[in-house]
Amino acid sequence: MTVTLDRRGLLGAGVAGAASVGLSGVAGAKPVLAKGMRKADFKGAIAAMRAVVGPEWVFADEDAVRPWRKTYVPDPSGRHAPVGAVCPGTVEEVQALVKIANQFRQPLWPVSTGKNMGYGMTSTAAPGQVVLDLKRMNRIISVDPELCTALVEPGVTYRQLKDYLVEHNLPLWIDVPTVGPVASPVGNTLDRGVGYTPYGEHFMVQCGMEVVLPNGEILRTGMGSTRNPSAWQAFKWGYGPYLDGLFTQSNFGVVTKMGMWLMPAPPVYKPFVVRHKRVEDVAKIVEAMRPLRISNIIPNVVLMMSAGYQLAMFQRRGEIWDHPEPVTDEALMAAGAKVGLGYWNTYFALYGTPEMIAANEAIVRAAFAAIDGEVLTEAEMQGNPYFHHHATLMQGGLSLEEVGIVRWKGAGGGLAWFAPVAPAKGNETTGQIALAKQILGRHGFDYTSAFAIGSRELHHIIALLYDKSDPEEEKRADACYRELVAGFGERGWASYRTGVHAMDLVAQQYGAVNRAFNATLKHAIDPNHILAPGKSGIA
Amino acid sequence: MRGPLFLAPLALVAGGTALATAPIAQKLGEPLPPRTPEQVYSSTCAYCHGANVGPVIRGRALPAAMVEMTVRQGRNAMPAFRPSEISPAELHGLAQWIEAGPADLKEKGQ
Repeated sequence: MTVTLDRRGLLGAGVAGAASVGLSGVAGAKPVLAKGMRKADFKGAIAAMRAVVGPEWVFADEDAVRPWRKTYVPDPSGRHAPVGAVCPGTVEEVQALVKIANQFRQPLWPVSTGKNMGYGMTSTAAPGQVVLDLKRMNRIISVDPELCTALVEPGVTYRQLKDYLVEHNLPLWIDVPTVGPVASPVGNTLDRGVGYTPYGEHFMVQCGMEVVLPNGEILRTGMGSTRNPSAWQAFKWGYGPYLDGLFTQSNFGVVTKMGMWLMPAPPVYKPFVVRHKRVEDVAKIVEAMRPLRISNIIPNVVLMMSAGYQLAMFQRRGEIWDHPEPVTDEALMAAGAKVGLGYWNTYFALYGTPEMIAANEAIVRAAFAAIDGEVLTEAEMQGNPYFHHHATLMQGGLSLEEVGIVRWKGAGGGLAWFAPVAPAKGNETTGQIALAKQILGRHGFDYTSAFAIGSRELHHIIALLYDKSDPEEEKRADACYRELVAGFGERGWASYRTGVHAMDLVAQQYGAVNRAFNATLKHAIDPNHILAPGKSGIA
Repeated sequence: MRGPLFLAPLALVAGGTALATAPIAQKLGEPLPPRTPEQVYSSTCAYCHGANVGPVIRGRALPAAMVEMTVRQGRNAMPAFRPSEISPAELHGLAQWIEAGPADLKEKGQ
């Protein structure tokens, strides 16, 4: 049904009452225009955008928008489908588009490369938004081989940056998330994502931003606004309040350039895996790992991968378990043992001179010998695809092998990451695993997980895997995810990040004062609410 | 002193599977130049297809029109790739190349 209502009549109305844009949406729903938008406003905004970037870079009809609507996260009602997309090529075009958005009150949803798989890709948190697709802005502005820094636009992929370093024979490493080849350093950093080298905490190694504010002005953070911004990528803090954090996991501006630090390639890199056989072993692994991470003897972000997660990379569920009930730990352990996996497979690496590595390897081996860990290296794991995958990631190598997990339940692909945070203490793990299995099992889903230790915190990374081609299963996945957020929240375990389908829900875990403060900032910075309403629950 | 802080690594483990093709040359401050079909395949498709994530698609005479539609819509578990990521001209060339080209026996598919 397509209805046309005047703007005043729609203000404050729910989604069901908003005007349809005429697109047929996901699961039979029709994407609707944003609150207060009339069809005439939408058409006016689209026409004005075409005049800025050219008609070939604006997309507003059903077939044309389809590539921006593909998502792995559950969206049974189709409310996260965008109504259009616009692809600027320059920062000046971004400024012009933001002004058009203000004029017509058309919300824009910025994406960098739009490949945050399992978090929403280019789908939007609230209905009626036009994707501001920054992928064409893919310039590497500068690389400084002495300071080991780079300045890049949002559309640059990790692969592009790596290509540049290889072509120019610069011995600098990148640090990649698990979807590195097609993902963007800017997008991943702004979502506060992580990688697996010593530079794995991406926001920690970010330095300086250029931001188009909702009023179209350009803000350069840190040293970038000084008369001679020679230290823009060298010194993070500048003077006065530190602003960069405001533009991560937020909707306060469009980041059009970002500085980042690059790790010098070490003389020696040595990856390890430690195998443990039992589910409950993870508690003592965390206890052993914490002091090694805090003291930086192990300098990279450590992953403790469960057999379930590892097996799902290269195998389908039916090859391991043919029952509708969640796959058992025993079945996973048996299948894992056949391919050289423990129940927990803890990956870390040492970096430095041969002397540094020899000294630290002795400490690490002693720590894991004390908890019956089987410490293995390339010498023993040659040819093991799981070890090879993580050895690749921990040196900033490029791989998409983990994307294979989206086919675990069926060809339809379905994935939503659930990532609660706890302190890095072993006694936090047991309760989390039990609660996750309880909630997932109630909805008929498997426990597929990893733990990660950045420094002092423990991320429990749970892949909610479902078959998106089955509408009933998609509804169950949506309900399950919500129960995970609520159930973990009650125990004090809130998520560090979530997909577009659950941003408001996760924001609720952080309390009314936090939400009100963000809303106050939003209204002051973006009074027309034209940038990504609903992002991180900030409306 | 110019140059890196460390010498080149001595003991690197083999990296990802799809960097075998020569890197795509990009000049500082300029957008990525148009890519050949081989470069598009290497920098995007080959990380899954032929790498035990997605099915092998080379050497099967897959119709170019089907390849184009699949890339844009993201069939089943495959993500969609937008015109901003793979331009219409690049996609056209890629699809023709996949339809007409031979198999790569080094690729593996599950």
